[in-house]
Amino acid sequence: MRKSLLFLLGVMFFSLQAFAQKTITGKVTDDKGNPLANVSVVLKGTKTGTITDDNGSYSIRVPANVNTLVFSFQDKAPQEMAIGSAAEINVSLSPSEKSLEEVVVVAYGTAKKETLTGSVGTIKAADIAKRPITNVMNSIEGAISGVVVGSSNGQPGSGPEIRVRGFGSFNATSQPLLVVDGVPYAGGTSNINPDDVETTTVLKDAAATALFGSRGANGVIMITTKKGQKGKNNISVRVLQGSSKRGLAEYDRLDAYQYYPIMWEAYRNQLVFPATGTGISYDSANRVASGLTTRTGIQGLLSYNPFNVANNAIVGVDGKLNSGAQLIYGNDLDWLSELMRTGTRKDYSINFGGGSDKMDYYMSLGYLDDKGFTIRSDLKRYSGRLNINLQPKTWFKTGLNISGNFTQSNQASDGGSTSFVNPFFYSRNVGPIYPVYAHNMTTGEFLLDGTGNKFWDLGNMGGAMGVPNRPSGGFAGRHTLAETSLNELNFRRTVLSARNYVDIIFLKDFKFTNNIAVDYQTQYDGSYENTLVGDGAPAGRSSREYGSVTSVILSQILNYGKKIRGSHRVDVLVGHESLNQREDGQRGFKQGQSLTGNTELNNFTTINSTTSYLDRYKIESYLSRVTYDFRNKYFVSGSIRRDGNSRFAPGSRWGTFWSAGGGWNADKENFMQSVKFVSQLKLRSTYGVVGIADGIGYYAYQGLYSFANNANEPGIVQSQTAFLNRELTWETNKQFDIGIDFGLFKNRVTGSIEYYDRRSADLLFAVPQPLSSGALSANQNTATMYNKGIELQLNADVIRWKGITWNMNVNLSTVKNQITKMPETVPEFITGTKKYAVGSSIFQYWLRSFYGVDPADGAALYVANNTAASTTRRLITNKDGGVDTVTTSIANGKFEFQGTAIPDFYGSFSPTFSYKGISLSALFTFQMGGKTYDANWAALMSSGTYGGAVSSEILNRWQQPGDITNIPRLDAGKLVDHNGASSRWLIDASYLNIRAINLSYELPKMLVSKIKATNAQFFVSAENLAFFSKRKGLNNQQAFSGVTSNAYPPAKVLTLGLTLNL
Amino acid sequence: MKKYILSTLVLVSTGLFSCKKNFLDTYPTTSVAAADALASTSNAIAALNGIHRVMYTQYDAQGQAGEGSINVFRDYMGEDLVFPLANGSTGQMTWYQWNNHRNVNASDMRFVYRFYYRLISNANVLINGIDAVPGPDADKKMIKGQALAYRGWAHFQLVQLYGIRYDKATVPNNQPGVPLVLENLPIGVGLPRASVEEVYTQINKDLNDALVLLAGYTRTGTAAKSNFNVNVVQGIKARVALAQQDWETAATSAIAARAGFTLMTNAEYLTGFNNINNQEWIWGTRQIDDHNTFFYSYFAYISCNFNSTVIRTQPRAINQNLWLAVPVTDIRKSCFDGNIGAANTTPVPPGGAKVRYQNKKFLAKSSALSVGDVPYMRAGEMFLIEAEARARQGGQDLAAQTALFNVVKNRNPAYIQSISTGQTLIDEIMWNRRIELWGEGFRFTDLKRTNAAMDRTGIPNHLPALIGVTTIPAGDKQWQFLFPQDELNANPSVIQNPL
Repeated sequence: MRKSLLFLLGVMFFSLQAFAQKTITGKVTDDKGNPLANVSVVLKGTKTGTITDDNGSYSIRVPANVNTLVFSFQDKAPQEMAIGSAAEINVSLSPSEKSLEEVVVVAYGTAKKETLTGSVGTIKAADIAKRPITNVMNSIEGAISGVVVGSSNGQPGSGPEIRVRGFGSFNATSQPLLVVDGVPYAGGTSNINPDDVETTTVLKDAAATALFGSRGANGVIMITTKKGQKGKNNISVRVLQGSSKRGLAEYDRLDAYQYYPIMWEAYRNQLVFPATGTGISYDSANRVASGLTTRTGIQGLLSYNPFNVANNAIVGVDGKLNSGAQLIYGNDLDWLSELMRTGTRKDYSINFGGGSDKMDYYMSLGYLDDKGFTIRSDLKRYSGRLNINLQPKTWFKTGLNISGNFTQSNQASDGGSTSFVNPFFYSRNVGPIYPVYAHNMTTGEFLLDGTGNKFWDLGNMGGAMGVPNRPSGGFAGRHTLAETSLNELNFRRTVLSARNYVDIIFLKDFKFTNNIAVDYQTQYDGSYENTLVGDGAPAGRSSREYGSVTSVILSQILNYGKKIRGSHRVDVLVGHESLNQREDGQRGFKQGQSLTGNTELNNFTTINSTTSYLDRYKIESYLSRVTYDFRNKYFVSGSIRRDGNSRFAPGSRWGTFWSAGGGWNADKENFMQSVKFVSQLKLRSTYGVVGIADGIGYYAYQGLYSFANNANEPGIVQSQTAFLNRELTWETNKQFDIGIDFGLFKNRVTGSIEYYDRRSADLLFAVPQPLSSGALSANQNTATMYNKGIELQLNADVIRWKGITWNMNVNLSTVKNQITKMPETVPEFITGTKKYAVGSSIFQYWLRSFYGVDPADGAALYVANNTAASTTRRLITNKDGGVDTVTTSIANGKFEFQGTAIPDFYGSFSPTFSYKGISLSALFTFQMGGKTYDANWAALMSSGTYGGAVSSEILNRWQQPGDITNIPRLDAGKLVDHNGASSRWLIDASYLNIRAINLSYELPKMLVSKIKATNAQFFVSAENLAFFSKRKGLNNQQAFSGVTSNAYPPAKVLTLGLTLNL
Repeated sequence: MKKYILSTLVLVSTGLFSCKKNFLDTYPTTSVAAADALASTSNAIAALNGIHRVMYTQYDAQGQAGEGSINVFRDYMGEDLVFPLANGSTGQMTWYQWNNHRNVNASDMRFVYRFYYRLISNANVLINGIDAVPGPDADKKMIKGQALAYRGWAHFQLVQLYGIRYDKATVPNNQPGVPLVLENLPIGVGLPRASVEEVYTQINKDLNDALVLLAGYTRTGTAAKSNFNVNVVQGIKARVALAQQDWETAATSAIAARAGFTLMTNAEYLTGFNNINNQEWIWGTRQIDDHNTFFYSYFAYISCNFNSTVIRTQPRAINQNLWLAVPVTDIRKSCFDGNIGAANTTPVPPGGAKVRYQNKKFLAKSSALSVGDVPYMRAGEMFLIEAEARARQGGQDLAAQTALFNVVKNRNPAYIQSISTGQTLIDEIMWNRRIELWGEGFRFTDLKRTNAAMDRTGIPNHLPALIGVTTIPAGDKQWQFLFPQDELNANPSVIQNPL
């Protein structure tokens, strides 16, 4: 829209009519008094006009028959001013009346928000500018109702997972489609410099996304980058300087003093309650556990005696720690201190933008240097962009938007939740009695090597110098500090993106657009595992992987737009598009490092593997859209797209997707004119059918054999997941949406209420197969499921008084998800902690029912599946006097539905206080209800893993007959029955996150103009300030499925920033 | 101009820009179409080689590298493989403690189950499809014969773990066995458990059919001994017969199996049980360096020298009572080290622990390479099967004594032919199986098929703090593996063993 407006102005300049009778001058400012450049000033009823200069001033010649000027500017409401006899007309354009007048980015174009029938949310450059985010996706959290954002972890450059309107898919992707400058983007969001982003638009409903056809079902995120503004040459500088710390507390765990007696008890109880036969008496067991017999005592199992007492005098036969015991190396038990650091962040960008009648340009350079709060985790990004638009002829317009970036990063190894190299897993779970460095086990002093330096206690010294092995639970032979320091895990990524369009305008109302978009990305991954400790030891091993993705999208679009007899407007679009994506790569993996210091493959002796691959993915599409607008009051739109997708068999690969919508601007009706307090009121509704296929593998329908040579003889073997399924086809999403947008009290209060009902059918799933079939899973179209919800968004200036504004933005969303139909051949299936069946939801827990703890002996009890008498059956009288049949064998525990990971509702609120140039804003996000399966906590609640850390909650365990508790007896022999997966590990998933707080100060114009600047702003910002969940350390924002893992915690980032416009 | 443009655009909208018809056809480069497996006999041979390969590739978690790993699991559950250090690695200790095969969610037990059915599924493609494949008849017979042998053997391995033991006294053995999969069913269909009798009947049929088809086939290639020939199938038949208490078949098949194989020398006996070219090996896996299975490998758990946490901190040891009873003149005694400290000459990895009665029978290629060939069948075992079958047959003690003498004399030049009879002779043979086959995966099934108790009582180097269980009575329900939860979830027709 803006493009056409500017174009219109350009045209006007040429045809400037020379019949003026008088000249009017004036100045246009915003509501704060700042001059507004580029405002169009048009003589009402004509095409004649001008624009304001950098100082907001204009001058226009007005013929006698014109008595009104219309001022309009970007997203601000046009304002009409009567001319009268005045020679000077000054105007203030208020931004608060913008909401329904905005131009928003939609599929294959832009539209006035007023005319939209669909559900669209937008985040603007100004919202992004004041937040010190390095990934633009982080700006979405809390900003738009109906969008759930997972917490991004602290790994530099990482972005969050995003879900729009519930959870649409099982195995196909649930991520919304990312569209950058109008074209689906295959690369990652971390490739985009947030400072280059003009708007981020989230398309939520089917009508908005239908033109993306088979890829739009999970919503679409459209990122539009900045372009230059005509008549305004601008230099903009943004400097951010920040520091980061861990943003989430660690789980509370036992310290060394508490730990020994607990482990003693786990051992003692194992002796008293053996797996088979009769145990020994408490008295004997106490003596054994304390180490007073010839048998192994607890110290023998834990290996390390961190106290200044004898090995058999650490824990007494009463189970209590020796009162005289003091730690001898207590200063060296903190595994985190050297792994963590204060991270630093530098984010600088500069851009140049401007333009003249026939061209505009935008050029930017960015540099990001982000050092994470964990050692060896950092990212540097160099980015640049050039966006040029040319209009050499009135009927011909073209533009090129090129961007490139180079990123290099060291990554913390948080890939495997329970892998030893994962520093978060290791430091969380290592027992509190094991030191980081080797110590003299008698005196507690550091042992020093020949040069007087401390050395790492790798946990497998095997008694050398008196240092024993750590037990398995204490990660014998592994050392997270050593491995993190000595290993390498890094990547270098080069990204080039180009978007070119050619517009040809002909026959007045037609426009033909040819688009070419090329995205190219190469990534070089390096990994090295050292020779001293860990998986690579003793030989050392190294891998190098090179991969590239090239995606070419070509589209040809024909637009027709015509206004008929003043009050009707019709717009028609037809087009064709093709995607041709190619991925290739190769990997070499060798071991046997020859010389130290060089981790390239030549320096290794033995090939472990060499591989390469080439994958292709293609889509071809035909699309069309028609919109009709009557007097800006009634709107109807419809779209259709036909897609062919290479993931499916020839007979199943074409699908048709469509949508229809209508809107009504009720406030424009006569009868509403008397309702003064309603300034805007719009009713809209859409229905559409959209598809999804991404994420299920490029060759999803094909039956395959993998290569499997036997020694040097060529071999192939059946894939256990790829079976021929010619019927495999799209997942379809049918979505109904109805919403009301409103503005009250001159738009001092604006908002929207929406309801959606999204039905997904033929959900793609790798259905688990009977293991006895030799298969693990097979791709099938399965369930039908709905997501329904209400979304509420409200924005109000609560206070506007003497320059003080208190603005409040609130959004609230509900989502109800349910499976309504399963195919006859697959009536239900189970994966992980979930079961899919009619009536359950996508994240419905299916777990064995934990019943409690038997007060008699502290055994963990589960609701019995097989209730027949057996050695593990117990009959427990319940509160109501009835008898429950329970079992002590988890294998006989009954599986039942145990609630869902989906919250009852979630949302955010963000107050903003401003006074003159000072603005203080905050963003709080929250969810209520739902359950989290806290796997991290479960691991800390082991009933006796020698050497592993233990949650402080274990102190409430069962200890003696009669104890009423939900924490079973400590018993190292009962790990399976006491600690297996069950409903015991579920916890309320409600949380409140202080996501961001921002204080900014805009320098007064007077000051700014002295340095020839137009605008300058300082700000201080804090991200992830505090997170409140039901358990300290628990991050229940981590995964939509509700299962926690040992991931890089979110970073708490404090930033100082300066933006300057020259 | 405008007309020109317009006409171009009309053409556009009518599909000038449409892509070629085959634009949307894409194919993977890291796989081949399933149909290609049966496109020719040479492709089918590749599909057979693929089965040989998955006998030793890595599965879901470390310690899951095909049959070799399952051999170790089975030995953990006996009395003779010892975890000697209280503070050593607990990796795979849940097998030792008799927990893993009873934990329906355990990754290892899921692996055991799916491993054998993966072999069966691949074999069924060849068994049921090879007849229609164009190519030389000799190749087809070889392929089908080997596939049948795989199917028979895999079902045998399964039924021994999941079914109550075969008892000749109660024929037909109607107790539930395992799903008997003879053809690959449509997606999503699972079979119920066939009876133990039905499973054994099919095993014998498959093996007998294989013998017919493989007659005259000579193994070739760099991994020749990973193929089934008549010898291997006879050896499996001998094992099956032993489990079915069919002594005559066991003895004759064992003799047929070892035909053409010679026992290794005492020098070879100490080279690490990792070389398929050993003259005594009848069947095994050949693993080359770039098929490295890292910490998944058999040798990552049973060797004495590979640098895994498990081997470093929890070296495998032998039941000291068993070892102490081995005469010093017996080469098998040297496969273990009775010393500690400097006198212990086990080639441990850097920082590796040394313990008394430490295993040094198995050697990985190096401390950095867990690569090694995995033994599945040796001539020595065949002598012992023959001896056991004859001894249990009754009236054949001399034949038993002779068979035993033939193998033990090789291991212990000082050995004098046994004059024991009856149970004493049987005990001597069984004792020899334990020391001869330590670490090769026979102890659990030997105890189960002979309906014996597992009894670790009185073996001092088993640490009470670690073993979890000291005894499991004969016939206890714990002798049966539980079916993995994933199978029950997707195949409700499988009834779980008593919990």
